[in-house]
Amino acid sequence: MKSKISAMMDGELEAQDLGEPLSAIGADREARESWRTYHLISDALRGEPLLTHGCARRVSQRLAQEPTLVAPLPGPVAAPQSARWFVPSALAASLAAVTFVGWLALTPQRAPVLAVAPVAQSQPPTQVVRVAEPPRVPLTRATQDYIRAHQTYSPRNSLQGVAPYVRSVSDETEQRKK
Amino acid sequence: MTRALGALVLCAFAGVAHAQASPEALDWLHRIYLATEKLSYTGTFVYQQGDRTETSRITRRAEAGSAVEKLEVLDGSPREVLRTRDEVRCYLPDSQTVKVDRRRDPRSFPALLPAQVQELSEFYAITMDETRRIAGYDCQAIVLAPRDELRYGYKLWADVQTGMLLKARAFNRSGETVEQFTFTQLSIGPVPRERLRPRAVARSWRVEQAAVTPANLAQAGWTMSSDLPGFRKVIEITRLLREAQPVGQVVFSDGLAAVSVFIEPLAGRAETPPMGLASMGAVNVYTREVANHLVTVVGEAPAASVQRIGDTVSFRPPQ
Repeated sequence: MKSKISAMMDGELEAQDLGEPLSAIGADREARESWRTYHLISDALRGEPLLTHGCARRVSQRLAQEPTLVAPLPGPVAAPQSARWFVPSALAASLAAVTFVGWLALTPQRAPVLAVAPVAQSQPPTQVVRVAEPPRVPLTRATQDYIRAHQTYSPRNSLQGVAPYVRSVSDETEQRKK
Repeated sequence: MTRALGALVLCAFAGVAHAQASPEALDWLHRIYLATEKLSYTGTFVYQQGDRTETSRITRRAEAGSAVEKLEVLDGSPREVLRTRDEVRCYLPDSQTVKVDRRRDPRSFPALLPAQVQELSEFYAITMDETRRIAGYDCQAIVLAPRDELRYGYKLWADVQTGMLLKARAFNRSGETVEQFTFTQLSIGPVPRERLRPRAVARSWRVEQAAVTPANLAQAGWTMSSDLPGFRKVIEITRLLREAQPVGQVVFSDGLAAVSVFIEPLAGRAETPPMGLASMGAVNVYTREVANHLVTVVGEAPAASVQRIGDTVSFRPPQ
């Protein structure tokens, strides 16, 4: 079992083989000790700062003291259930770790950028959603020709007669040129 | 539970909103339309948009079965617009030009008949508002509040006696005025014919004819959609706009607001106009380039609506 736990930590196990060591860690005290020891070794090798002794126990105690507001406290969780919950997240975590390490290795010189999921890159380009407003441009004499041509077909005429045409002969453009 | 309750409240609200089209207010819209068609009058009105105001004089003479209307801008250079049933002539002294737009199919010209007014209430909550005196006339206010953000709202003040529109205000979704027409003086009654003649001595001026002909832009490879609920295609034509090259024009309307899409080749133009958004009161103009053509969208609608229609324009060479 110890070799399996070690292999799992190194990312050498296939997804379907993760269940057994994970259940063991949940159920077996010795397996849990091995898990903790291997992490201690790997942290020491990488020079990671060590957590003080009994940190996990103290965190558990603090969690137990937290008031539960909405949901009732769950009873003791059965090992297989927790294992089922644990597998996908462990997988995701290890995948994320591998991706991150790979990204670091492949882009040593570049400034950090947001990693783009390879899936997104292989998809066909989707329609760009316009967020910004187009630039504001001044009204020109030529624009007034369009406004006049449009005005002929505006239902506003039937309420206001010729009055809306004032827009298409406005002096506005000359004023802006000055 | 909360969500269900929210949905229920929304439904109830929508129901109330839909019920908000008072028959009396709809009648008033029709009355305004009839007054615009039938009355003879002369008056002075102020057009306000942004921080600018411009004063103009309007003269209208109704004759049997037709009418002539004249608009003279009183500030700045004396520009004039003459409108008859078949034609609109703009006299522009600065450029010594007369721009002529002949109406091709009078049926495509929108009229606010009772049926159309009824349809309007699908997109606007049409209600009665206060009564107020404007330019010496007791007026009834009618509000057309848009049911979505795609349109502007309008408040209209009409003479209680004749239905003549004395004031019109267009407002945006925040309730801010985007433009306003207000008569400051108005006399309703017979107008002598000579008052309708243009002042401009335009014999030597250049005349630009719009030369409107029906068109099918889809056949030429152009696709576009109104994309906005309630905006339907009203007319599709080709026309001339100052330059020799014909310009395609498609008009969409919801019965009160209209948006025109103009398409013309960019090749051969002396200069490319700036691409983007411009505005004149309640009119927004959106310009973009599609397949080496200039697409200009002009509409009495919020900039986002005008842009949305403009962004649907695309070209695929016909097979």
